[in-house]
Amino acid sequence: MSEGYLIAVWILIPIMAIFGFPLTSWALGRWYQGRLIAALDVKEKQQGKLMQNESVLSTSSRMTNFSAPSSTLLHVSICVGPSTGQMFFMWIKSIFGGRLHSYDVILDYGRREVLQRLHEQAKSLDCSSMINIRIETSTVSFAKNQNNKTSSVEFLAFATGLRS
Amino acid sequence: MEGTTISLHMSNVETIPGKNITQSLGLVTGSTVRAKHLGKDIFAGLKNIVGGELKAYTELLNESRNEALQRMMMAAHTMGANGIVNVRFATSNVAAGASELFCYGTAVIVE
Repeated sequence: MSEGYLIAVWILIPIMAIFGFPLTSWALGRWYQGRLIAALDVKEKQQGKLMQNESVLSTSSRMTNFSAPSSTLLHVSICVGPSTGQMFFMWIKSIFGGRLHSYDVILDYGRREVLQRLHEQAKSLDCSSMINIRIETSTVSFAKNQNNKTSSVEFLAFATGLRS
Repeated sequence: MEGTTISLHMSNVETIPGKNITQSLGLVTGSTVRAKHLGKDIFAGLKNIVGGELKAYTELLNESRNEALQRMMMAAHTMGANGIVNVRFATSNVAAGASELFCYGTAVIVE
């Protein structure tokens, strides 16, 4: 009986050691990112009401209908990344393929957040509308050694802001 | 001239809204390669436990992009231009631990 116990404990300890940190990191990541997204939802709703009628947002560069007296270049970037635990479980998931939920969520968050910040920058520079909005994605890693898995995705949004 | 801030008319569309382009002076570019100091790298590693935004990287990239823009504006300024149209940005990972930020556009004279 006691031998069975010992064997169970000796099997459990390595499992805990391997999965303990990723599980904690995964859970913390889910919680923290959920909060970030909830905060963004609130901001987007407020912004949506403000920007609805008075401004033009366009990915096109044609602006025959507008005659703006002055304009400026707007650019914002943001770096986001999933947590270490999420990356670990995604690595396991990628053996089977399919949807990588954690990446999905964090990339969606990054893209919405960068557009939100572009709005804020436009507002702070008195721009009423934005044309030719572009969003670019790139992987950046400033990790000094290859073993360091700290990786993040950079979103860059830029546009021409028009003052009316 | 280094360190002074030049401001030019800039846009990422073919024209500068509200202005007339009188002369095109050709391509101008600006680039910078940056690396993070180790302390902030470690901090970013800690932040990776929860994920989300990595503010240290965001700041670094913003600073460097402004520097690249500043260099491009300097190049345009020395050509005698007062505007840059069709500005584009590019980011590439040139080496482990360093990132290159690059921007380019067409220098023009507007009135």
